[in-house]
Amino acid sequence: MANIVRAASRRDVLTISAATFVGGLFGAARAGAAPQSLTMMHESSFIPPYDAYFKNTLAPAYLKATGIKINYETTSVGSQQTRVTTAAETGNGPDMTQIGFNWAFLFDEKLVDVTDIAQEIGKKGGGWHDAAAEACIVNGKWKAIPFGNIGQLMNYRMDWFSEVGVKDFPDTWDGLLEAGTKLKKAGHPFGFELGHGFGDNHGWLYPLLWSYGAREVEPDGKTVVIDADETARAVDFCRKFFQQTMEQDTLGWTDVSNNKAYLAEQISCTNNAESILYIAKKDFPDIGKVTGQAQNPKGPTGQRFHILNPWSHAIFTHTPDQKAAKDFMVWLMDPKQVGGWYDVAVSYYAPFLHMFDDAPLWHAEPRNLPYRDSLATSHLPGWPAPISRPQSESVAKYVVVDMFAKACAGKSTKEVIADANAQLKQIFRSA
Amino acid sequence: MIVQRRGWTTRSLKLWLPLGGFMLFTLFPFYWMAITSLKPNSELYNRKIMPLIVYHPTLKHYVDLLTETNFLLWTWNTFLVAVVSTAISLVFGVMLAYPLARMRFAGAALISFAVAATYLVPQPLLFIPLADIINQLGLGDTLTSVILTYPTLLVPFCAWLLMGYFRSVPHELEDAARIDGATRLQTMFKVFLPLCIPGFISAGIFAFTLAQNEFLYALIFLTQTDVRTVPVGAISELVKGDVFYWGQLMAAALLGSVPVAIIYSFFVEHYVAGLTAGAVKQ
Amino acid sequence: MSASAPTLAAATPRAPRRSTFRQWTEREGVFSWLMVIPPLLFLIALVGYPFVYGIWLSLQDRPVARAGTFVGLANFVADWKDPVFWQVTQNTFVYTIAATLLKMVGGLALALVMNQEFKFKNTIRALMLLPFIVPTVLSTIAWMWILDPAFSIINWLLRYFAIANPGPSWLGNPDLAMLSLIIVNTWRGLPFYAITLLAGLQTISPDLYEAATIDGASAWHRFRWVTLPLLRPVIFIVTMFSVIFTFADFQLVYVLTRGGPANATHLYATYAFDVAMGGGQLGMGASIALAMLPPLALIIFAMSLYMKPNKT
Repeated sequence: MANIVRAASRRDVLTISAATFVGGLFGAARAGAAPQSLTMMHESSFIPPYDAYFKNTLAPAYLKATGIKINYETTSVGSQQTRVTTAAETGNGPDMTQIGFNWAFLFDEKLVDVTDIAQEIGKKGGGWHDAAAEACIVNGKWKAIPFGNIGQLMNYRMDWFSEVGVKDFPDTWDGLLEAGTKLKKAGHPFGFELGHGFGDNHGWLYPLLWSYGAREVEPDGKTVVIDADETARAVDFCRKFFQQTMEQDTLGWTDVSNNKAYLAEQISCTNNAESILYIAKKDFPDIGKVTGQAQNPKGPTGQRFHILNPWSHAIFTHTPDQKAAKDFMVWLMDPKQVGGWYDVAVSYYAPFLHMFDDAPLWHAEPRNLPYRDSLATSHLPGWPAPISRPQSESVAKYVVVDMFAKACAGKSTKEVIADANAQLKQIFRSA
Repeated sequence: MIVQRRGWTTRSLKLWLPLGGFMLFTLFPFYWMAITSLKPNSELYNRKIMPLIVYHPTLKHYVDLLTETNFLLWTWNTFLVAVVSTAISLVFGVMLAYPLARMRFAGAALISFAVAATYLVPQPLLFIPLADIINQLGLGDTLTSVILTYPTLLVPFCAWLLMGYFRSVPHELEDAARIDGATRLQTMFKVFLPLCIPGFISAGIFAFTLAQNEFLYALIFLTQTDVRTVPVGAISELVKGDVFYWGQLMAAALLGSVPVAIIYSFFVEHYVAGLTAGAVKQ
Repeated sequence: MSASAPTLAAATPRAPRRSTFRQWTEREGVFSWLMVIPPLLFLIALVGYPFVYGIWLSLQDRPVARAGTFVGLANFVADWKDPVFWQVTQNTFVYTIAATLLKMVGGLALALVMNQEFKFKNTIRALMLLPFIVPTVLSTIAWMWILDPAFSIINWLLRYFAIANPGPSWLGNPDLAMLSLIIVNTWRGLPFYAITLLAGLQTISPDLYEAATIDGASAWHRFRWVTLPLLRPVIFIVTMFSVIFTFADFQLVYVLTRGGPANATHLYATYAFDVAMGGGQLGMGASIALAMLPPLALIIFAMSLYMKPNKT
C-alpha cells in the first residue's frame, strides 16, 4: 500500500518536473494567486519523531488552518549543504530550507530578509539568545529564523571516573588531563575526534583554542592571529592530552567513530552531541545509566567555550510568494506549534528563544541541562570574526583541526602553527 | 587446456593454496558483512568476545531494513536506473563503435580522440555544471536525472570495449550481405550485431555494475527518499546524525549484491569471452 | 573462441530501389557520420558543455550563490601555493600507482591460478566478482569495522597471542591509513583485473605452450616469453580503466576517512568536493578538479607509450 502511494508521488514528481520544463520552454508565467503549497527542506533529524511530527502534526494543522499544503522534504546528513547549494545556484527547488553553521552568510543573496518577522517572533518569545543573532544576522539583516542549537558536550562514564577518584567532572582542561591520565592507565582511555568528520572534531578543538585565549582571526575578520603564544600553549596541551589520555586511532576518526567506541565501552570520555546518551538509553541501558554530560572545561583564561551548531529556517528568494512563506514561519514559531516540536526532540535542539529557558522539555532529562547552559558560551568556528566566506573555507579545509592533529601525530608546535598561519593567510587574503 | 596430472601436493600448492588465499581476501569482508548483519547490537558493540562468531543470531536488522526503510523501492530504482542507462549507453556505444571500428571516413581519428578524451574528464569537475543543467531541465530529484547523466560515464567505456570486439569480427559476412543488396543499416542489424552478443554482454555487465554503484551524482541529484538508489539511500537513511545503523547497512550491502552476483554467474562465461576477443586481436 | 561457424542467414535481398537519398545515406562517410552524430551530441551536451563550464568556473572567483568575477589563473596560483594541494597530489599518485600495481600483480596471479581445471569453477569465478558488484559505499562501511583496532581480526589475533595491545591503528596512523585505503581499493578492483586477465589467458592457444615446452623453456620462461607478451593488450586496457577510476576515486575516501588524518588520505576528488561544496568556493573547487586532468593524461600517455600493443 505504502509503495503504491510512493510510486504515485514519484510519478507526480516526474509530471511536475516535465510540466515546469515545458512551462519554461514556452515561457508560461507562474500563477500569481496564493500558492497551494510550500516546500520546506530539512536535513533528516537524528531524532526520528522530530521529522514525523512535522509531517504528521504540523503540516496537516497548517493545511486545516489556511488551506496551504506544506511539503516536508528531508535530505541526508551531510548532503543538506550540497542540496542548498544546488537550489540557490539554480534558483529552483524548495521554498524554505533549514540551514546551519554560517550558511546565512554563504547564501545571503539568495535568502529573503526576514528581519521583520524575526523581531516579531523574538518579542513574542521572550527575546533571542545572543548566539542566534551570531548565526543569522548578515550585514544587520536577519536572513533566517533561528530554531535550535545542537550542542556538543562532554560525554563521560560517571562510574569509571569515580573509580579513579574523580567525583565531579573536572572544571578545567588540566583537571581533565589528570583524570584522563589515570583513566587511560586503568584501561579506559579518552576518545576525542581528531580526524576529518563533520563536527565532533570542531566541537572540542575550537573551544579548546578559545579557552586558551587564542583565535584564528581578529574580530575585524581580516587579521590572522593564529601565530600567537596562546595558540602554542593550546597546541602543546592538546599534544599532551592526546598522548596521555587517548589512542592513536582518534587521529583517523570521523563523527561515527566516537559514538561506536563509547557504546563499545572502549572510551571513558568524548565530546559529542546528545546522540550518545539517546542511543545508550535506548539500546544499551546499562551504559545509559552511567553516562554523564558536562560543559566543556575552562582554559587558563578562566573561560569555557562551546561550539555553536545552530539550525535555522530560511526562505529562498526564488520562492514565488515570499509573504506566504513568512506567514508560515510566524505560525510555525508560535509557542503553540514550535513548543510541541521541541518537545518530541527531547532537548536535542536547544531553543534560541528565552521563553523556553525553563520549559518542561529541560526537566524530562536533567542530564541535558548543560545544553541549555552552554548556549551562552557557544560560538561558531571562526569566532570572534563575524560569519564570512573565508571562515567556511577554513572549516572545509580543516585548518584548525589539522593543526592540532599534526601536533598530536608528532610535528613540532612551531611547524603546525606556521602551516596553519600560511593557510589562513591564503584563505583570508581576499577578506 | 592440457590437464597435467601430477601429485595431489603439487596440485594443492599450485591451485588450492593460492586460490584459498585469494578467496579469503576476497570473501572475508562478505563474511564480516554477514555476521554483522546477524548480530544483535549488544553483541556487535562487545569487543571482549571473539568477533568472528555470532552468539545470538537475529534477523532483526533485515526485518527493520525491509519494513522501516524504503529499501525495496531503492532496489527497484537502482535496477531501473542501471538497466535504462546501460541500454542507452550500449545503443550510443554501438553508434560510435560501429563506424569507428568498421568504416573509413573523414574525421574518424578526431572522433576517437574526442571519445577517448571524455574518459579522462574528472567527474568532480562535472558535477557542479551538471547540477545546473539538471535543474534547468527541471529534473532535480527524478530518476531521469541520473539516467541521463550516468551514460556520460558509461558511453566512452562501452564504445571502447565494443570497438575492440567489433574489430575482431571477420568482414566476409557483411560483404556478402552488401553484395546481396542489403543496406548498411540492415547489414549492421541483421548480420553484424547478432555476431557481437558476447561483446554486448561484457560491455553491458561493465556498465550495469558502474551504474548501480555510482555515488556522487546520485548523492547530488537525488535527495528525496523515494527516488534514491541503494548506495545513497542506505547512506542517507541508515546513518542518522553520527550514528550508523551497522546491522541494517550490512544487510543492505548483502541484499544489494548477492542477487546480482547470482545473475552474473550465468553470464560470466560470455563476459570473459566478450572482453578479450577484441583486445587480443586488436 | 575460434570456431563460431558462419551459418547465419544473410539479409534478405530486396529489389533494388535506387533513390538519391538512399544512395547518399549509403555512402560510407555519410552513414558513419549519421551514426556518430547522436551520441556525439549527447556527449557534447553532457560532458563537453559542463567541461567548458567547469573551465570557466575555474577562472573565476565564484562564491556559492553569488556572481563570480573573472580572476584569470589566480585559483591555480593559489592551488600552487597551497601545501595541502601538493599533499593531495602526492596522495593521489601514491594511491593510484600502488593500488594499480597491486591489482595488476595480484590480478595476474589470481588469473593464472584460476586458469586451471577445478571443481565449481564458474561458481568460484562469480563469487570472486562480488567485491566488484557490491555497492562500494556499503562494502567500505564493512571495512570500517574490519579496520577498527578494537574489532579488527588482525588486532584481535595480536591481542589474543599477547603480541600487541591494542595493535596498529589502521586509520589513525597516516601511513597505515593510506595503506588501508590502497588495500580496500585493491580488494575492490582485483576481481575485475583477474576475470579480465583470465579471459585473456584463455585465448592463448595451448599449442604455443607445447611448442615452448618442447624447446625446453621453463615455466618461468613460458610465462615471460609466451604468456606476458600475448596478454599485454589486455593488461593495457584493464590497467587504463583501473588508473582512470582510481585516480578520480571519491567514494572510498568519502566514507572511510574523509581525507584524514590531517589530509594524509585526501585525494583530488575529495578535496575538490570539500572546497567547492563545504567551503562554498566553486571556482577554486573547479580548479582543483581540473588540475587532476594533466597528470592523469600524462599517466595514460606514458602508459600507452610503454604498453600499447602495436597496431595492425
